[in-house]
Amino acid sequence: MRTLDWVVLVASLLSIIAYGLYRSRGSNTVDRYLLAGKSMPWYAMALSIMATQASAITFISTTGQSYVDGMRFVQFYFGLPLAMIVIAAVVVPVFHHSRVYTAYEYLEKRFDSKTRALGSLIFLAQRGLSAGLTIYAPALVLSVILGWPEAVTTVCVGATVVTYTMLGGIKAVTWSDVQQMVVIFAGLVISLVTVIVLLPRSVSFGDAVYLAGAAGRLNTVTTTFDWNDRFNLWSGLFGGTFLFLSYFGCDQSQVQRYLTGKSIAESRLSLLFNAVAKIPMQFFILFIGAMVFVFYLFAQPPVLFQRAELARIGKNGAFAPIAGQYQQAYETRRQAAFALVEAHHSGDPAAEERQKAAYRAAQAEIDRTRSQAARLVEQTGGEAGFSDTNYIFLSFVTRYLPAGIVGLVIAVILAATMSASSGEINSLATVSVIDLYQRYFKRGASDRHYLLASRAATLFWGAYAVLFAGYARRLGSLIVAVNKVGSLFYGSLLGCFVVAFAFPRVKGTPVFAGMLAGEAAILWTAAYTDISWLWYNGIGCGVVLATALGISALRDGAASTRPATPRSGSPRPA
Amino acid sequence: MPEPHPSDVPDEPPPFLGTWSRVYRAVMVYLALLIAGFYLFARAYR
Repeated sequence: MRTLDWVVLVASLLSIIAYGLYRSRGSNTVDRYLLAGKSMPWYAMALSIMATQASAITFISTTGQSYVDGMRFVQFYFGLPLAMIVIAAVVVPVFHHSRVYTAYEYLEKRFDSKTRALGSLIFLAQRGLSAGLTIYAPALVLSVILGWPEAVTTVCVGATVVTYTMLGGIKAVTWSDVQQMVVIFAGLVISLVTVIVLLPRSVSFGDAVYLAGAAGRLNTVTTTFDWNDRFNLWSGLFGGTFLFLSYFGCDQSQVQRYLTGKSIAESRLSLLFNAVAKIPMQFFILFIGAMVFVFYLFAQPPVLFQRAELARIGKNGAFAPIAGQYQQAYETRRQAAFALVEAHHSGDPAAEERQKAAYRAAQAEIDRTRSQAARLVEQTGGEAGFSDTNYIFLSFVTRYLPAGIVGLVIAVILAATMSASSGEINSLATVSVIDLYQRYFKRGASDRHYLLASRAATLFWGAYAVLFAGYARRLGSLIVAVNKVGSLFYGSLLGCFVVAFAFPRVKGTPVFAGMLAGEAAILWTAAYTDISWLWYNGIGCGVVLATALGISALRDGAASTRPATPRSGSPRPA
Repeated sequence: MPEPHPSDVPDEPPPFLGTWSRVYRAVMVYLALLIAGFYLFARAYR
């Protein structure tokens, strides 16, 4: 980091935090603190929803994912527009008409208090873990740049986020997110332009895309069906739809965003904006990762991108031959890349195929050597399942981007994460206070009391997230880890809400039993099968439905399992 | 909770395409075109 980078970084962060604090003025009642007094326009909610997901993980991990595995991760988002349509059409009107603070408050109106409590606890467990991952990502940034231990940087980032979140309510968080997204889009464009400019003069943008494709980095659609394959068209369309239905329909961190809308139409528009914009945005970020891959065809990357581990195994005698092989493999791949570009321009298909095979063989050798180095990390006391995916983009940014731009990109990463974390912690505090504290421990207290309780809950969940962040680095790719953790819990919540909306005659006890059975089924699937985590949501949801409808049928007779007209006064889908 | 929620949450038609069901259909067509575009992109550069 050069002086100009520090100036840009500090100025950007201070201005964003100051803006957040400025917007938090007037959030002095629980309604304003948690729901912004239902005053937000659709574009602010839309960008806030997008910003919650576009945290540091998006920059750090998605680009690295594309570097090592290609762009097929984009398929994960194919189910998102479908989920958004269902939520906009069915869920948004129900929540708005029910006039609830949280999604789980609705469960008590629809079922009973124990179902609300179970839903709240499942959310708290899941989102608490995810909040830890979100805080860990920018700590990773600081540790790479400053060379500080990750534990120290995790505590620093966590303390900043908690302080900011305690001071500002949902309104401040939302408006800060709007500002974040503008900066994020600017940062993305600057990153892509820079990486293309840094390519050798003899390699055009078209050549770069061709080389990325030849190395399998542009595999945006895989039509082959495989239960164990995480990312293909079918897992994205079906598994992804269930995941995003759960995320946007049952997760308070998202529900709270669109509950702040002025009207149902404003909330719907905010979700549909994400339905349209999210996939192109992810495509763009993954494409940056693919271009970073091409850049490193012509500028030798380190064997491993995590400098601390590389320095550690560098002292081991077994590393020298690996480093030698890697150097040779890199040179071979570099020559093969130039030769492939030349063959591509020559118009000789046979020569092009020959060079393509040589290029791919050279890439396979690079991958093999990197795997050997990763194994050496594990064998010499490093963590099992070592992965340096999260360090790839950071390594590129800090080493090759010009002064000032590095500071800006780091500021974007940090600020985006602070915003995402603050939203998560805010929602955790909301559920803790509204669904548990107010419901079971302290009813009928003053507004000021609940406001203070919300701030205390924010502090608690911030500390919890920091503690879990210490475990996050063992989970490999962060973008995958976040969604995998979510998938362990979302399926049973989704099943509960599906029953609530689609089967008005099913009562609380059957759905409560269904949620327990669904959670057990997901955990069993994760522990004892190789089925990809994208399917967990569908499995969990299916088990909840089957169990709840089965018990309901046994209790009330077959007629109760058919969709029927809701009872007078009960909430109903639009 | 001491301060009540706003009791009236108005629903309105979308600002374009007339009805919400038309907007939802448009989003589905958009998704189909996007997937088709990505498929062709992947085929062109594999």
